[in-house]
Amino acid sequence: MSLWLCLRFHQLPLQCLNRSEELAVAILVKQRVLRANDYAAGLGIREGMGAGTVRALLDNEAVQLLERDTTAEAQCLQQLCCWAYSITPSLHPYREDCLQLEIGSCLSLFRGLHRLLAEVRVGISNRGFRVEYGLAETPGAAWLLSFSDTDQVADYQNPLRDRLAPLPLSLLTEHVTAVDSLRRAGLHTFGCLFALPPAALARRCGAGFTEFLQQVLGQQADLRPDYQPPVNFSDEYWFGYEVRVNDELLPAVQLLLQSMCRFLRNTQLQTTEIHWQLVGIDHSLREICVRSTSGHSHWENWYQLTLIRFDQLELKTGVEGLNLACHQLHSGQLENIDLFSPRTQREPLSGLLDRLRNRLGLQAVEKVGTRSEHLPELALHICQDNPANENGGQLHNQRPFWLMPAPQALDRKQGRLRWQGKLELVYGPERIEDNWWQQAVSRDYYIARGDGGQHYWVFRDRLDTGWYIHGIFA
Amino acid sequence: MNEALQQVINRSDTWQGPFSNHRLCSNSDRHGQGDILHSGYSTLDAQLHSGGWPRGSGIEVLSDGCGLGSMGLFLPAMEKLSAEGRWQVFIAPPFTPYAPLLKARGIDTEQVLLVHPKSREDLLWATEQALRSTTSSAVFSWLGAHNYSYTELRKLQLAASASDSLSVLFRPLDAARNHAPASLRLQMREYRRVHILKQRGGNQGLDVDLPPAEDVPEHPQLWEVPVWQESPQAQSAFSFA
Repeated sequence: MSLWLCLRFHQLPLQCLNRSEELAVAILVKQRVLRANDYAAGLGIREGMGAGTVRALLDNEAVQLLERDTTAEAQCLQQLCCWAYSITPSLHPYREDCLQLEIGSCLSLFRGLHRLLAEVRVGISNRGFRVEYGLAETPGAAWLLSFSDTDQVADYQNPLRDRLAPLPLSLLTEHVTAVDSLRRAGLHTFGCLFALPPAALARRCGAGFTEFLQQVLGQQADLRPDYQPPVNFSDEYWFGYEVRVNDELLPAVQLLLQSMCRFLRNTQLQTTEIHWQLVGIDHSLREICVRSTSGHSHWENWYQLTLIRFDQLELKTGVEGLNLACHQLHSGQLENIDLFSPRTQREPLSGLLDRLRNRLGLQAVEKVGTRSEHLPELALHICQDNPANENGGQLHNQRPFWLMPAPQALDRKQGRLRWQGKLELVYGPERIEDNWWQQAVSRDYYIARGDGGQHYWVFRDRLDTGWYIHGIFA
Repeated sequence: MNEALQQVINRSDTWQGPFSNHRLCSNSDRHGQGDILHSGYSTLDAQLHSGGWPRGSGIEVLSDGCGLGSMGLFLPAMEKLSAEGRWQVFIAPPFTPYAPLLKARGIDTEQVLLVHPKSREDLLWATEQALRSTTSSAVFSWLGAHNYSYTELRKLQLAASASDSLSVLFRPLDAARNHAPASLRLQMREYRRVHILKQRGGNQGLDVDLPPAEDVPEHPQLWEVPVWQESPQAQSAFSFA
């Protein structure tokens, strides 16, 4: 059985703009009050009053009169959709201020209607919204029942017609002419409406109204496209004042990361790169990119990595807003820590790598690998990721522990080689020749002993007859 | 006993000399006897009071130049730590470790991370991060010729004692004159000879010779130069030219 939960945010025009209850706030449309907060209602302000009346009522009180902002409402509703997506996959926004959630298919997931509604209530109150809800077999009826005072959970299994019967027809503001003609005929509630023969009703009120009524009663399908989560994540936080200290950014960072990770979990996606944008009070933008080698969906990991970057940050101008975006999302992969490892490893290996790279830069952390090559500098492979790991066969000859990035020329003085002191050849030569197809290399390697007893790996280039040092035995 | 005093005694980093028998395992070698990281040299193991390298406590190696065999000292330990599959971090290494050699000695080169910090602060930060992370089995850090205050070194020692990794700080010989919080300080002035400068709860102030007989056979020997086939002095360096 499909069961729809309609969440009606009556105060959405108000709550998406201002949630304070410390002074009277009213939202105006065409100089008429659309919504007012509790504080204003306590002072006698009602919906539909003119702006002049409001000012007259509150002669000495501070009052904030705001114009309605429908884009902010739509944005708010989108964010709520994003949250509600964690409850059910089939949902859509309805009218201007409602969400319709199909919950019949996820009752067993939540183990009952009571638990599901509790979850919804907690989610909405955390977001600071006030909500009325209705439960019915069709979205239209659920919306109508959200105006009812009865206990929805107790009687949602009663016949739909009985439940709708006491509701006034004046709720149907879209069908003004039909409702008007019915009112003139003495019909005020849905109960009276259902008592009429459907054919007579169609003749009196027109096809549009009949269709609506059939959808409400489930006699005709009410199909709407389901909400689809956005492809990219982007969210922002406005402080509303100037932030000059890095630490003051952190609560906003936490909030944004939590919302991102909720999005990632709902869409079962992961990201390896997040972009922070600091909006300065002079509208300057500052981009900070935080990378991670593995995608996580835990916000704590991202928070730690972001902290490393924000620690080093110097704010030149005050910050007014913070924007978080991830552009590249891919499907999730799990990296698990070995449960049976005898050691106390508590995080995946990439954790340390990410922290080091975020503070020191991508180039500052390298890995080493081996290639199957004769020339020592080619046999050693240094790179940022995925070093080669080829088998070079057994080493039977002397090789130093340290290899210099490039061979360095040795001084010659009085017929002796010098490198931080005199050098004395003690072992060799070992000839290494290779690379004849590109640039021929032919070297005779020796082990040399320095003044302090240190052993070096030196070679004589047979082509240019120069002497070079290439490694250190340590 | 005075409660404050008892708290000090209960700390794992308070050295209590020979009186600490009953709490020996809480004093710097808290991993007990079942988990000894042998150094690979019997003479050295005999002198180290835990029978091998202490884990979870700092080791300082003092040497000049590029370390006379100081890395060779840790190769056997690195090989054993490879089995743990965790990082072996090199922080500010003087050059690049020659990976084919590491591989020939049985070390998994994929675990080796080279970190190149740009400043002294980043060097200390990276060392502390690597030590504090549970994902590293060995941390080698070349602190270089900078001067470090006792508190900075103590911070590293505390990070080391909170982890179970092998932590080694390389410092120049001059540093021997200054006091340091590391529980084991070694000096290397020549190949095959380690001078134990300080060892908490063990012998100190003695030289340990590493016997050539214990070098891994069939593997490149690092410090023992084989016999020269022909006398090197017979040929001047320029006779090839």
